[in-house]
Amino acid sequence: MARLFDIQQFRLINKYAIRDFSRSYKKLWVVISTLFVSLLLLSLTFSVKGALNSEIENNSKELLGGDILVTSGIDPLPSDIIDLFNTLGKVSSAIEFGTMISKQGESPVFTELRAVDNNYPLYGDIETIPQSASERIFINSQKPSVLINESIQTLLKLSFGDDVVIMGQKFEVVGLVSSVPDLAESAVFGEFAIISMGSYEQFGLDSGGSFLDHEYRIKFKNSNQAKEQEELVKSIVAYDDSIETRAPGESGQSLNRVIDNFSNFLNLVSVSAMVIAGIGISNTLLSFVNQSNTSIAVKKSIGFSSGFIQSMYFYEIMLILVLTSVIAYLIGVYSPLLANELLPEALGIDLEPSFSFLGFLNIFFIGLLVVLIFSIPSLYSISEIKAGALFRNTFNPVSLNFSLKNIAILSVLIIILITYFVFQTEQKFYTVLYFVAFFTTMFIFYGVSKLLILFIKHSYKFSTNSYKIAYRNIVAKKSLAPIMTISLGIGLTLLLTLSFVANNLKKEISDSIPSMAPDLFFVSIDRNIQSDLESFIKDIDPNVELEFSPMASASFISLNGTPVEEVVSENNRSAWVVRGDRRISWSEKPKLDNPIIEGEWWEPGNENEMFVSMDSRAAYDLGMKINDKITLNILGRDVTGVVKNFREVDYRDISINFAIMINKAFANTMPYEYVGTLKSELPPGDILAKVVEKFPNVSAIKIDRILSQISEVLNKVFIAVTAISLIVIVIGLIVIVSAVLVQTTFRRYNNLIYKILGVDFPTILKAMTMEFAVIYGTLIFFALTVAMISSYLVVENTLQLTWQFDLGLTLWILVSTAVVSFVLILLANRSIFSPKVYPLIRNE
Amino acid sequence: MSAAIQFNKVSLKYGTKADTVEVLKSISFSIGIEEVVSIVGTSGSGKTSIIMLASGLENASKGSIKINNQEIVGLKENELSEVRRENIGIVFQSFYLIPNLTAVENVLLSLEANQKFNLEKDAEELLDEFGLSHRLHHLPSELSGGEQQRVAIARALINKPKIILADEPTGNLDSVNSESMIDLLFDYTKRSQTSLVIVTHENSIAKRCDRIIELRDGQIV
Ligand SMILES: Nc1ncnc2c1ncn2[C@@H]1O[C@H](COP(=O)(O)OP(=O)(O)OP(=O)(O)O)[C@@H](O)[C@H]1O
Ligand SMILES: [Mg+2]
Repeated sequence: MARLFDIQQFRLINKYAIRDFSRSYKKLWVVISTLFVSLLLLSLTFSVKGALNSEIENNSKELLGGDILVTSGIDPLPSDIIDLFNTLGKVSSAIEFGTMISKQGESPVFTELRAVDNNYPLYGDIETIPQSASERIFINSQKPSVLINESIQTLLKLSFGDDVVIMGQKFEVVGLVSSVPDLAESAVFGEFAIISMGSYEQFGLDSGGSFLDHEYRIKFKNSNQAKEQEELVKSIVAYDDSIETRAPGESGQSLNRVIDNFSNFLNLVSVSAMVIAGIGISNTLLSFVNQSNTSIAVKKSIGFSSGFIQSMYFYEIMLILVLTSVIAYLIGVYSPLLANELLPEALGIDLEPSFSFLGFLNIFFIGLLVVLIFSIPSLYSISEIKAGALFRNTFNPVSLNFSLKNIAILSVLIIILITYFVFQTEQKFYTVLYFVAFFTTMFIFYGVSKLLILFIKHSYKFSTNSYKIAYRNIVAKKSLAPIMTISLGIGLTLLLTLSFVANNLKKEISDSIPSMAPDLFFVSIDRNIQSDLESFIKDIDPNVELEFSPMASASFISLNGTPVEEVVSENNRSAWVVRGDRRISWSEKPKLDNPIIEGEWWEPGNENEMFVSMDSRAAYDLGMKINDKITLNILGRDVTGVVKNFREVDYRDISINFAIMINKAFANTMPYEYVGTLKSELPPGDILAKVVEKFPNVSAIKIDRILSQISEVLNKVFIAVTAISLIVIVIGLIVIVSAVLVQTTFRRYNNLIYKILGVDFPTILKAMTMEFAVIYGTLIFFALTVAMISSYLVVENTLQLTWQFDLGLTLWILVSTAVVSFVLILLANRSIFSPKVYPLIRNE
Repeated sequence: MSAAIQFNKVSLKYGTKADTVEVLKSISFSIGIEEVVSIVGTSGSGKTSIIMLASGLENASKGSIKINNQEIVGLKENELSEVRRENIGIVFQSFYLIPNLTAVENVLLSLEANQKFNLEKDAEELLDEFGLSHRLHHLPSELSGGEQQRVAIARALINKPKIILADEPTGNLDSVNSESMIDLLFDYTKRSQTSLVIVTHENSIAKRCDRIIELRDGQIV
């Protein structure tokens, strides 16, 4: 054999490959197109993710609003501490809280209100319409002014210069905030308004509720000593645990995690697309080899080795890979510009394309692995082509070469591919799970196609011509069944699974919840006005369903003396219960809709002892038992209590639910406020308007508004997700069409014989319909089964919802996919119906 | 003794152990350097099989085959390729040009397999000699059968092989074409001192050879 790095040899391979490619690229269009589409998908996800992450990283100070952020909760920081901050640099203080904005004649809107001082923002800009509006809120006048976001404008039908009422005080609307540098969730998805700190103080807008945050941002004088200064600030506020600090790097973390999760999902879908493309590549290459079998045999007879010929074709595919991956990467690099157009403007995100060779290599490497995996069995079939056949004019088609050596190589490559992916992501477990599910599904579909062929062979044979033809096509060596079941099967399974999950989620939100959910949710009601409020509402609507619960903030310290951090791991399903501030409540008697499933409720009385009732699922996840000892920090004081019982809590009804409840007698000794829900036959907006007029400090959220916000966001995500899984189906269809095209020569020949035998066109069409129906029918049966099982698992276990089957949606997906596939198959087959059959035969 | 091809008790069997066809039965013969030999025999007598064995495209079941004194029985595929590259030019009955390569490119293929580059001139000259100067850059589908076979012969000869193996090279040609083609082949082998083994059904061709080997039922008569 020629030396491996023989430069002459390489030149020759290069020359032949380029010549062959330039003359027969049309035969390789499937390889080119499917590889390109799947690489593009991969490249898009990588680029947009990279651009988002770097945007967040580069703008971490803008996102935080300063070099450091200090949050002190309900209470402001003492002035001596603020003075200390002032020595370090420029300080901007802000207060954020939820409150109502109302306009005469409209129902009031719950808004996140931010009161800011003159120094705000320390980094970046507030973007407003008109441009100078942000300055106007600081102009001292008798009537203060407010900036609102577009959502408030729409809900309250406001125009500039209109008056709105915030906590009993009139404000003039002077502009629209389109974005603030420090990302405010409600600015993007909900209602958000800005006033000046001056007016906040001047008009005493103190809601006194617990949903209030004092924030202090500092821009250091010495920005090159940021680390030291950060430490200094942390040490200044170290005296109080409840004061939190955040540095720029930490601000985008949760956002980064969301982006990571979503892009990881997209990556997995891209890889799935690529694997299906791989099936097409393998199929096309094999038929390419078979079509070129005489040329290959001639080359062998002249003295070229199989290895050389394999290298040449392999080199050709590498050329295609390099070409498609470069183009896909370049398009990917510029895709953030498109993403800018699609992202909500209020995010204030401006993504920039960034080119990196490593980024290209990443995509190329994944493409290389997939191409290797799927081209090795095809290309190794070259060694089975015998040049001796040239003497006898007999060419047996070769098939995929799965020698032991190849199987070993393929296993190693697949393991590398999976490992490469798993190491790039945070959710290693889910990634492995996905791959396992994916390859299992692929195997299932391969098995299904084989079973189908076996079943057809052994089932009753009808004697109509069309059946016979369909039968022969299905059991034929080049049957469409395996490739169609695998490539369409996987795409369809993915699409069905995702739409089932999406549909269940949407259903849950759109119809099942509102029927039992309350109309209004009152937040932080002062304990002194709770009874007045209750009777006021009952005067308006005597039949109202009102429920108030006392509430206080607590944080979980330890379980049986072990700190919670050691008890619960990060990815524990119920970690949220013990992390950060939890609102707890209490009552004398157990709640009716929270049945006790273990332990017993406590006797009234006992002011000195704390008893705890836990959400049963959280208790299970955290490994709690009855009579365990829990230590909570309530208002700065560590209190240890005994777990008395577990309740089953269903959070889905959006009534007031608490994971942790304690005994009333003990709780009565501490300060608290109320939260409440309202359900009424009257329009909740009208009740709310009256309530807010009478009690300016009371805030309530309209549930339907929240639900519509959630479903709006979900809808967008689902459209994106469905579009992406559609790409997988499109690639599957390309693969099928290519398989059909590969078959046409062979089918054309058969059909010619049928024609000679006197079989007419309708019979052939009927046969094809029958063939398709049988394969597709089998395929959807299994695709549906797999999709139902996997979506059931996701919906019931991960999302904790009740899984429901939607026949209409299912039929819609299945029928439309069937129609599209069948039409495409007919189109790809159209040449076999053409009368010009004879010249085609002669050319063979 | 020096011979171009040497068969020593060569057997060729096809099929499974239970159901074997012995196509060649312990055949021995040798073909000298510069010798022109024709192989004749009835259909199925094993003529093509001999050519396949001599070119290393089929494995003998038993016996020894030497090409220029090198034993080729038992060699690996790559080694056989090398023997073929260096010693043998093959002409098939059905021409077998590579469809997406032009006449010149088909001829060059042989040179390039032997790591000989930039010899377009030689290829063009040879085709010119074969009367194809106006068809150099045409694809096989644009050539007549006779022209195709002349390109195929050029492809076999360009590399100056020591042995030319031709299996019914005129089988697909009419008598005029076949005549001129055989002239070409004989001329060239004489001039370049090459051995030629030609399988044929035509007496006129066989007679022009130095020697005739006749086969019947896998044996030489
Ligand atoms: N793969 C095979 N398996 C079994 N028998 C075979 C195989 N290949 C060839 N044969 C048999 O070997 C015998 C010799 O074949 P070969 O092609 O050498 O004959 P031939 O003399 O060239 O005939 P023709 O003049 O028709 O070309 C024939 O009887 C043929 O049937
Ligand atoms: Mg023969």
